[in-house]
Order: sequence, then structure tokens, then C-alpha cells
Amino acid sequence: MEAINIDFAALNLITLSPMLITLLGALVILCIDLIKSDLDKTLYVTLTILTLFVAIGATLSLNINERGLFNTILIDGVSILGQLLILAGSMLFIPLALTKRKFHDFSYPEYFALFLFMVFGFQFMAASDNLILIFVGLETASLALYTLIAMHNTKLAHEAAIKYFTMGALAAGFFAMGAAAIYGVTGSVEMDSIVKVFQSKMSEPSIMVPIIGGALLMIVAIGFKVSLIPFHMWTPDVYEGASASMAGYMSIVPKIAMMVVAMRLFGMYMELDIEIVRYTIIALAIITTTLANLMALVQNDVKRMLAYSSISHAGFVLVAIALDTTKGYSSLFMYYSLFMFTNLGAFAMLWVSRHKYNVHHDRFHHPYEKFAGMIKKAPVSAVIMAIFMLSLAGVPPFSLFWGKLYVLSAVVDSGYYAVAIILALNSAVAVYYYLKLIIYMFLKPEDLSQGNVVYANRSLALEMVIGLAALATIASIFYVDPLMQFITDLVGASGY
Amino acid sequence: MSNILTVLIFFPLIAAIFGFMVNQKSIRVYGITVAAAEFLLSLWLWASFDSTNPGMQFVEQLSLIPQFGISYYLGVDGISLFIVIMSTLMTLIGIIALSVKDDIKNMIITLLFLEVAMIGVFVSLDVILFYVFWEFSLVPMLYVIGAWGGNLRLYASIKFFIYTFAGSLVMLIGMLYMAFIYHSTTGVWSFSLTDWYSLILPFDVQKYLFLAFFLGFAIKVPMFPFHTWLPYAHGQAPTVGSVILAAVLLKMGTYGFVRFSLPLFPDASVAYILPVGIIAVIMIIYTAMIAYAQKDIKQVIAYSSISHMGVIVLGTFAMNTEGIAGSVFLMLSHGIVSGALFLLVGVIYDRKHTKIMSEFGGLAKSMPNFAVVFGVMTMAAVGLPLTIGFIGEYLSLAGFFKVSPTLTVLGGTSIILGAAYMLKALKNTFFGPITNPENENLPDLDAKELTALIPLVAIVIWLGIYPKPVLGPIDTTTKALVQMMHNKAQTKEAKATILVSKPKKEAK
Repeated sequence: MEAINIDFAALNLITLSPMLITLLGALVILCIDLIKSDLDKTLYVTLTILTLFVAIGATLSLNINERGLFNTILIDGVSILGQLLILAGSMLFIPLALTKRKFHDFSYPEYFALFLFMVFGFQFMAASDNLILIFVGLETASLALYTLIAMHNTKLAHEAAIKYFTMGALAAGFFAMGAAAIYGVTGSVEMDSIVKVFQSKMSEPSIMVPIIGGALLMIVAIGFKVSLIPFHMWTPDVYEGASASMAGYMSIVPKIAMMVVAMRLFGMYMELDIEIVRYTIIALAIITTTLANLMALVQNDVKRMLAYSSISHAGFVLVAIALDTTKGYSSLFMYYSLFMFTNLGAFAMLWVSRHKYNVHHDRFHHPYEKFAGMIKKAPVSAVIMAIFMLSLAGVPPFSLFWGKLYVLSAVVDSGYYAVAIILALNSAVAVYYYLKLIIYMFLKPEDLSQGNVVYANRSLALEMVIGLAALATIASIFYVDPLMQFITDLVGASGY
Repeated sequence: MSNILTVLIFFPLIAAIFGFMVNQKSIRVYGITVAAAEFLLSLWLWASFDSTNPGMQFVEQLSLIPQFGISYYLGVDGISLFIVIMSTLMTLIGIIALSVKDDIKNMIITLLFLEVAMIGVFVSLDVILFYVFWEFSLVPMLYVIGAWGGNLRLYASIKFFIYTFAGSLVMLIGMLYMAFIYHSTTGVWSFSLTDWYSLILPFDVQKYLFLAFFLGFAIKVPMFPFHTWLPYAHGQAPTVGSVILAAVLLKMGTYGFVRFSLPLFPDASVAYILPVGIIAVIMIIYTAMIAYAQKDIKQVIAYSSISHMGVIVLGTFAMNTEGIAGSVFLMLSHGIVSGALFLLVGVIYDRKHTKIMSEFGGLAKSMPNFAVVFGVMTMAAVGLPLTIGFIGEYLSLAGFFKVSPTLTVLGGTSIILGAAYMLKALKNTFFGPITNPENENLPDLDAKELTALIPLVAIVIWLGIYPKPVLGPIDTTTKALVQMMHNKAQTKEAKATILVSKPKKEAK
């Protein structure tokens, strides 16, 4: 038996610095709560933002292509991009806690500590290529997220949290089984050595079964988390139960983290030319986009509509992973960095209009009728909401048009013309339900019986977040090119 | 982490901007958290600092205006390292001990902005960047004095602003002229201090430039006869304003001498040793005598502060390793001690709303802990051996002794005079019978004040007994500085002065 030799240079703590900062921030918040109890939530919000800001700074100053934590952390362009998007999305989300109405969630400092723990988990997922570490990150983040949803403390929120927890546990089980299958074949959990072992064993006759089996288990696990059809059942209910801001957050940041994992994992299979994985992903992507779009058409609640819409968007981007080109991967990040502002803005608009009790509908907080005639009551809000909807529909010159453009052009470049046409037609279908809201807001007569409740939850912080999101959506034409350049450089640098 | 200096500068800035979001009632915790994080960061800077390397470390350079040679150029060496740490420490302590009641949110945000300026000044290696932070530091301080000060606060804050602003404008002209000379000699524009170091100027150019820079720094120090703004500023400023002003802002002036005047103009510095020395000695004795005559305890400390700054100037212009290292160390010790003394005065002011010594007397009975801390700080201010005050004062005077024994003897009276006025203040305030019945039941130091003061007491005693961890890096850098000045010096006189006082033995 050889003595285990641990080299502390391999720890390379600097590669962990963004995650450690998030973790420290969470611990500081817990400690402050311990020492002094009656502090205002603004303090915790600000500390959270500050922590995330510093973590962004630390991420930007990382050196590309370094390894740390005994070779389990991989800092390449993708992990930097992933972490940047995760941190930026979180930073955009957390001011939404400063609402005018008091909600149960934010009265606990633990909410903010848990939130930072969750971000910490997502960062780990984005920055590791070790299956076990990814799993640990996934679980850290998910457990925190379940709690955050439940802390909204309504009946629907509890239901949502339990539903999400059950489904999430199932997904985690699939992930663990997939990792076990891969480990069984290769004897490793590190992706770069897994690839090598796979390559050397490709000629063996019965190897394909565990390889593809592992891949399918992984697809299921990732499908649950990114909410691909048919693993999407939890999504609309969870979004409906969670607070609108949390739903917006869930449609972005956890998915980005999981997309990075999917990129790394399926990129490995593409490299081995296992075409069935590629076709499965494309098939899933098409099914997800199409069916989600159809289901969104019939929703009565704007929040549920947005839930289905974000499922459909997730399917749309998933195609980019199947392409395995630099342009494809870059377009994925591009899409998410634009989608982040628009979608979070749209959910924040719902959050602003949130009131304590259901006024307009027995079950839903945000039925379409609520927004009828909004142009008369709140013209600026109506226009901003319309801009978000148009952007989600992919109408130029708003930001998501560029995202769609890059994804579709990457698809066309790789020669999947049929896929590109299906995706484009899907966008046309989606226009209907986005336009429906616009028609309600602008053309339907005002529902006078309910009084003015559109602005019930308005506060300066929320307005600023929405303003920022609107600005990013409108002014996209000015920053799309440098952003794409930045993303392509980082993605290219990591060899994808 | 290679960009730790950028983080040190911009972390408080970002935190200050986000601070506007925090509710008034929770802002103190926010301020303490941010200041503590910043202080830990500066300790980390110390931990990763290589104390055997005399040059600039953690250097960052980024061109800002290439046509004019202005760049974002940062670095830290043994001289600036500890001043940076002291700035972050004193900001933290100031925020912990903050007793301001109204507008505490604005106060804390202002202090964080002030911290940005202070750290920026001490780590900038580009002259324009230095100037930007130098001027920026005036604005938060103006606001602190003007918004939370005493009755004459507007007069005091405007006087403070105009005095220092006028001085620094003259300095700015000097900087521009220096850049012009650099351009005409080398053909390129540069405001980088390390580039300027390599330039050897003719003596008569040095003379004028020295005077221009000297005016800017001397007003900040403040040197006699430009010192009149300081007693007003101290008298009117709230406690935390005085603490930061005495501990850090005054050090900008003496830091400027060490960083700019001496290495850029060694010949002129040597030529002006005598006048500067005489002014410094006047400053020491004259302000000490004023301090003795004061009735207001805060004014005693304010004037004693000026008097000690005289010793720092004296040490700096000794132009040898002991003198300069001693004066840098004295900057630190003076920062800690005078900061602590102003805090202590603030404590008593919060309780009694007066600073007149005749109102007190016998406080040692009602406030024993307070008296002990005040006693320790008084001893350190007087320069008692085994306190932090002794080492710097001793080294500064020992260094200047090689230049002029007569002036050193006169300057050395600072210790005697210091003992006279400080002990008088101590006696009048704490001992004797309690004459004023109101003083019998004054509450002693509370938890908040103890948290702020105990670390300072610990530092005073720790560095008084074992100054090596701080003095070592200072000494290494100072040696290299003196060596460089010696190599640069052209006149025979300057070469001799700088050489004679360059012994091989360790300074401590």
C-alpha cells in the first residue's frame, strides 16, 4: 500500500475563489443574524449583492484553463462564462426581495444565506468536470432551492416545493445511476479520463450498452432539471406555486448550470461520435419546443404561460448542444445571457403586480383578465411588458431576436436544415400567446370592478430591476456584437 | 491574487454605492461588515507581502490616457503597506465606535468613500492617479466635518478644504512641470512615479519643483505656519472625523515627502534640510506650548498631534535609513495613538457634551477602565519606552542627530514638553477629587467602545515591545530608497549627507 501523497499546490485555491467568496458571504450573513437579530432585510439584500459582485470580480480575474482542488475543478472559458451568468442572474434576482408588500420569505435572514449556498452549488456545477463534484453541487443547490420555494409559505408554495423535491430527488437518482454506469465501465469519474477509457474500449463488442445506457440516464436527469418534455411535468405547477420572482429565477440560473453540465457531458459523447445521443437530444429539443408551445397556447394564467414558454425556450437552446460546434455553444450562452434579462424582467412584472390575495380569479394570481386595459391604468408598465413579450417572441430589434438568430444560424451551419425550419415555425406559433397578453393589455377594455391592483407590490428596487431588464432588452443591438465576441473567445479558449 | 490592490480600492467603493440600499437601522452592521472585510483583505496583503523585496509589489498597470502617459498604476512597498493597513484598521475602529445619532447612513457611506480615497492615495504609483485620490479625499472629509461638526463646522470645513486645495493646486503645477521636463528629456509623456525616479534633474529645477511639492504636502501635514486649519477642523469635527483626520489624512503629507520629495529631488532636499528642520523644530516647540495652554482636551490632543508631526518631518529629512524608517514607523504609531486619544475624547464628550478639562477631574474613580486606556495612550503619546510611540520617535531623532545635533536637541524637547502637557491633561481629567458632582455616576466604557479600544491598546503594547514585523519591511524599503537617493544625488554636499548617514548596521 502506497502512502497517499497530497500536494497542496494541486489545491490551487485561487480557482475556487469565486465559490469561496459566495460561501463566505453566506456564512457572514448567518453570523450577523446570530449576533444581532432585528436587522432590516435591506442589509441582507445588499450584502448578498455585494458578495455576488465580488464573486463576479473574482471570476473575471481567473486564469483560463487551470485546474484546482486536486484536479476536480476545471476553470475553462465555459466555466467562467457559466459562473458569470449564474452570478449576474442571481444579482438581478435578489433586489426583487425588496418588495413593498411584506412576504414571509424575506423576513428570514436564512433566506439570503440559503440563496448564496444555492449559488455556490450552481457555481460548482459549472466549474467542475468531475461527476461526483457535479452531483454534490447539484444537490447543494437543489436542496437550498426547495427550501427557498417553500419559504414563500403559501399552500401552493408548499405543494410546489414538495413536488419539486420529489421530482428533483428522482432526477438526482438518475444522475447518480448514470454516473455509476459510466464509472462501472471506465473506473473514473473525471470526464477527461472517461473519454480516454471510452476511446480505448470502443472496439469491444458489448461496450455500447453501458455507454448508451449511462448517456440515457444522464439525459433523463438533465431533462428533469432543464425541464424537457416529457420530464417537464413539475414545471408549471412549481412555477405557479413559487413566488413570481423565484419562478423567473428558476427559469434561468439552474438551467444555465445544468446546461453547462450537459455541454460537458454530451460534448464527451459527441467527441466519441455516438450519434444516437446527438439524435436523442435533437429529438428531445424538438418535442420540447413544439409541445410546450402548444400547451402554452391554452393557458389562462400568464405565469403558467411563461412557465411553458420557458420550457419551450429551453428546448430551443438545447439544440445548440447537439451541434457540438464552437458557434453552437457560443450561441447557447448568448441566448441565455439575453434570455436572462428578458425573462426575469417579465416575471418581475408579474411580481410587481402581485397582491396578497387572488382578486381576479379563484386559483390564479395573474390571469390574462387582470392585465386587461393596462395601457390606460399603467401605460409605462404596459409598454415595458409588451416589449418583454415581443422580445420573448423573437421580434427584432429586441434582444432575444439576436439569440434566436445565432442559434438558428449555428443550426443551419451544421446542416440541420429541417431542424432549423421546425424551430423557426415554432417561434411563429409562440407569437400567438405572447401577442395574446399584448392584446389584453392594449386592446381589451379595462376591468373596472377590481380597482387598481396592477402596482400593488411596486418599490424602487423592483422598478430598477425592471428598468435594467428593459434597457438590456431594448438596447441589445448595441452590445450584441462585443458580447458575442467575448463569449466566442471564452468558449473557443476552452476547446469546445 | 495579483489584483488585490484594485480590490482593496474598489471594494469599499462598490460597497458604498450599494450601501444606499440598506435601511438606516441596519447600516451600522453593514458598515462594520464591509470595513472588517476590507481590513482582513489588507491583512491578507500583508501576509502575502514579500518583506525581503524592497521594491514595489502587487504591481498593476493599465494605460488610461496613452497620449499623455497617464496610467492606472498601483503598487505597494514596505513604506505604504502598513499605512494602508492602518487606514483600513482605523476606518473599521471608527465605524465600530461611531456614536453619531442622526444620518448615520450617510456617515457610514461617506466613511467608505473616504476609505477608497485613502487607500488610493497610498497605493497609486501614477502621479495623476495619486492626485485624483488626494483631492477626492477632501470631499468626504468636508462632508463629515460640515454635516456632523460643532457650531463652527461650516467655517472649519471650508477652511480645511481651501487650505489643502490651494496647496495641492500648486503641487499639481509642479507635477505638470515635472511631466513636461520628463517629456522634453526622454521624448515620451509619462506620469509614472517609477519613470520619474529614473530622471536626474538639474539642481535649480529641483529647487522650484521641491518647493511646489513641499507646499502641497506641508499644508496637509500641517507644518507651521500652515497649521491653523487643523485645530479648527479637529475642534469641530465629530469624533470619527478627528480619528480619520489625525490617523490617516495627515499622513498623506508626510507620506508625500517620503514618496515624492526625497527620491525625486534629493539634491534640493539636502539643500533645504536646514530650513525644513528649523520649521519642524518651531512646529514641535511652538505647538507643544500652545497645547499646554489649552483648556479644551480635544484641542490639547490636536496640538500635540501637530507637534508630533514635526518629529515625523524631522525624521524624514534626516535623509538616512534610521530617520526615514523611524518617521514611517512614527506615522503608524501616531496614527494609532492619536486616533485612540480622539476616540477617548469622543467617549467623554458623548457622556458630558463638553470637552473642557475643568469640568472633569477625578474621573478615574467613576470610570476606571476609561482611565486605564487613556493612561496607556497618554504614555504612548509621550513616547514612553515599551510603547509604540517610543520607537518611532527615538529612531527619527537618532537619524536627525547625524545631520544636526543642535536641532535634534531642540526637537527632542518634544518628549519633555509632550510629557508636560499630556500628563497635565491626564491629571486634570482623571485624578484629584471629583469636583463636579455630575461626574460621580458617569458610566464606564461600554461594550462598543471597548471593542474599538482594546485592539488599539494591544497594538500599542505589542509593537512597543516587538516592532520587528512592521519595522523589518519598512527598513528594507527605506534602505533601497536611501541607496537610490545616494546614487541620484549630484551635488557633493548631497552625496555626502546621504552617504554619511547610510551605516551598514540594522536600524533596529
